[in-house]
Amino acid sequence: MTRVLEVKGMKKYFGGIRAVDGVDFHVNQGEILGIIGPNGCGKSTLFNCILGQLTPTDGEVLLEGRPVTGLYPSQLNRLGVSRTFQLLQVFPTLSVRENLILAGQEHRGTKLTRLFGRGDAGLTDAANRMIAFFKLEHLADQKAGGLSYGQQKLLDAAMAFMAGPKLVLLDEPAGGVNLTMLAALKERLEAINREQGATFVVIEHNMDFVMSLCSRVVVMAEGRVLAQGTPAEVRADPAVVEAYLGH
Amino acid sequence: MDQLIQLLIAGLATGAIYALAAIGFTLVWQTSQTINFAQGEFVMLPAILALAARDLLHLPFWVALIVATAAFLALFGFGFKRFLVDPMLKHGVLPLAIATMALSILMKEGAKDGYSAQAAQFPSMVPEGVVSIVGAAVSLRDIAVFVVAVAAIVALQLFVDRTRLGRTMQATAQNPTVARILGIRVERMILLTFLINAALAALASYLISPIYLAKFSNGEFIGLSAFIAAIVGGFNQVRGALAGGFVVGLVDNLAAAYVSSGYRTAVPLALLVVFILFKPEGLLGRREERTV
Repeated sequence: MTRVLEVKGMKKYFGGIRAVDGVDFHVNQGEILGIIGPNGCGKSTLFNCILGQLTPTDGEVLLEGRPVTGLYPSQLNRLGVSRTFQLLQVFPTLSVRENLILAGQEHRGTKLTRLFGRGDAGLTDAANRMIAFFKLEHLADQKAGGLSYGQQKLLDAAMAFMAGPKLVLLDEPAGGVNLTMLAALKERLEAINREQGATFVVIEHNMDFVMSLCSRVVVMAEGRVLAQGTPAEVRADPAVVEAYLGH
Repeated sequence: MDQLIQLLIAGLATGAIYALAAIGFTLVWQTSQTINFAQGEFVMLPAILALAARDLLHLPFWVALIVATAAFLALFGFGFKRFLVDPMLKHGVLPLAIATMALSILMKEGAKDGYSAQAAQFPSMVPEGVVSIVGAAVSLRDIAVFVVAVAAIVALQLFVDRTRLGRTMQATAQNPTVARILGIRVERMILLTFLINAALAALASYLISPIYLAKFSNGEFIGLSAFIAAIVGGFNQVRGALAGGFVVGLVDNLAAAYVSSGYRTAVPLALLVVFILFKPEGLLGRREERTV
């Protein structure tokens, strides 16, 4: 099985605080990996180190076997790593369709076609397919800023797929989303995984969401990996139970 | 009745020019979250540069216009961003705002010492003449100014809404961090915004100077009127700046005629106070919430 992402010995210290303290994990092609842990366990810091938003103190990130440690987020994006954001990051004055086109446009064509080519970068069809897939047809021409929070989350997720990524990192997709919308989001993510073999890493502290969505789970506590395995294995691990429930 | 129609048309014409300058406030606000207090001087200077190029370099007027516009875009589009906004923004928006005040003084005094302290005639690009509208004799120049300014604003709005580059600019203004991750060359988009601002200021300069003469101190009232227009219309919207420009242009022309020409600039100021008290987001603006 090919490893899309491999993280080796990742460390990030802020002064004396060891936010991430030697984390190893990998993501296989076509899998949905969950990273969970209590607040402050270092999972967001880990995410930011992988994505080039923080420079790791030590450690290595491999994308399909190639080292990509310390690359800028935009370079990683170009190599096929896209992400969603914990706090929503859609462009409010653009329509849903325009947001999607924008998310894919810089990956196509040459400098010349970017300047003089078609206004939609030839992505209208792809955007419409994405809109249909995420069931946003009735909102396609509305400004993203007018959508409900949950709808914006769906759009954010859809945008992450516009560039045809090898790997999508979802940062707390369930945060602040109501249960109906959460079920819809989960169902769509499962469908895109099943139908297109999309590979995900999901960071979440909503246990139910992660346990039902992910095929494998990494549990973090205090900057280290506490346990990893299938949801059932992890749930039964005494160390995990202790970290989550206390003594 | 005739006088009212003339005043309305003249008001719309000056209003359209204020709108061009007010859009500059909006553009700079969106890209750097600051107010360019030299905006009035940005509208004053291109006309002076054109006259200086004509008189000092002995160029034909149309060549002087091109030279002045190119020089202004280089200095106050590219140069303004690169040598003033970029270095100052690192220290926060307040130092930048104060630096733009210093720039306004520099531009004003530079124009006075470098060209002339006197008001100078600026050739109009439209022939003198009047046309009759509903019986009232209306200056052809006012109509031309109105048409050109509005056409420029409509073109800008279409560019921003309908083209890929325009949408990319919007995205950059709204969320530079994410835009950068998506591969957008954010710095280039911001530079483009400043170049558009300088181009609109130059256009406003060439339109307003034949009416009010070209003078180093013109920036004071233009800057103030444009600022009020931006507040009244809504600081974060291009069409808000347009609406605000018309309101201020109409109010100051009507006030000059029916209240007192001495209070010409005071009446728009009263308007500013009323808007800040009762409708701070402006006619068409959105409320902005930002984290500090």
